[in-house]
Amino acid sequence: MRQSLSVVLERNTLLTGEFATEPYEVAWAREARWFVRLLEFRGTQTRLEATTQISPDGLQWCDLDDCKVSLRDPGLVSWVVREFGGWLRLKGVVAGDGEAREGVAAKVLIYLVLKG
Amino acid sequence: MTKDALAEQRPRPAARWADPKLSRFDPLERILVFDDFNSGTHGWVELLGNYDGRSDLDTVDDHMRDFRPPQLSSCTFFDVGTHGAMSGTYALKVATRPEAGHTAVAIRRLTMAGRGRVQFETCFAYKSEAASQENQAARQAGAGQWDGNTHPSETQFGAFTVATDICDGVRYHCVARYLNTDVNNSLRQQWVYPVVPEPTPREHFQGKVKLPRTADFTAPDPNDWRPFGSPQELCYNEVPTKVNWHYLRWLIDTRTRSNVELQVNDRLFDMRDVPVPAYHEAYGSLQNLLNFYVSVRTHTNVRNFLFLDSVVISVDW
Repeated sequence: MRQSLSVVLERNTLLTGEFATEPYEVAWAREARWFVRLLEFRGTQTRLEATTQISPDGLQWCDLDDCKVSLRDPGLVSWVVREFGGWLRLKGVVAGDGEAREGVAAKVLIYLVLKG
Repeated sequence: MTKDALAEQRPRPAARWADPKLSRFDPLERILVFDDFNSGTHGWVELLGNYDGRSDLDTVDDHMRDFRPPQLSSCTFFDVGTHGAMSGTYALKVATRPEAGHTAVAIRRLTMAGRGRVQFETCFAYKSEAASQENQAARQAGAGQWDGNTHPSETQFGAFTVATDICDGVRYHCVARYLNTDVNNSLRQQWVYPVVPEPTPREHFQGKVKLPRTADFTAPDPNDWRPFGSPQELCYNEVPTKVNWHYLRWLIDTRTRSNVELQVNDRLFDMRDVPVPAYHEAYGSLQNLLNFYVSVRTHTNVRNFLFLDSVVISVDW
């Protein structure tokens, strides 16, 4: 039987500005899928943009590909990542319309679902 | 008693020698758990505080909502690549955030089918995260000068803990913590125990306690921890990317709700006089609860890691 593991990397976390999830080891897994559950957006025209990052060592990071998700509405979104090596994280930004940053935030749960 | 004298007293079941992976352990008669992390997490999961009937996770206590999911780690580092575990490639890794006071906790949930001696064994290693441009570990508290032998990152590792949550009508915690450094990042290398029971979500619900996010959830006041035995130097092995596995065997007795002894490599600590704080109030829904947890706590803004190669939990009932 194949191995599987679902983890919650952020739990009801209020993200503001630039963010990155904690490094997570996935060398054993052949499949990975992000689920981001957006509970609430605060501010005007607030959006959450995120990119999957990979790493050889958990210290140095680069983007996996050109895929950048841009989320503007509460709800659940998911996307798959492939050929990711040994580590995964999500790096992104929560931004609003214009320059104002005060009160701009997104409340999220971030799940990583892995199968070996 | 020395470790050697102890070994002579204990019978060696022949069956154990037939399994090389099990032969590094010294289990009691009945093995409840043999967790080899090359085949999954075996029920070790992030500890989370309790939440309300609407599944509103905002109702989880602040200090119990971010204990981090354990990882199946290949022990991979920037300098040598994959170090691997003691057996096979993977170990269970419990990792803090890079934030002073942050604690990561993985828990294993069982119940008791009897009363008597219960033993937790593991092969473990502990490390601080290596410095990088992004994490700036070399500039964080605890980092000293490199002298070619001792590495600054050793004093950036706070503490790791092995502990239980047990309820037989009375709820109590047996706890043993290796305090590598104190909260001022000074080397202590001392085994310690708490003299108070762990604050619970119900105590918060009842308005008795409200702890901040990075509070030490096992016993928040550093003054509530006491040393047992003399200091023990472990094998951090100079730099943050060498993994040397240590043997740990911890024996408790659920018939007497007490600690018995702790063996870590060649040191044996008599814990029979180490008190076990119990709750004065009764808790429902927990009959025969037998939980083990391991935690790691950083005292500086550097990630701390606890690696477990494998775990054996055995009993004499």
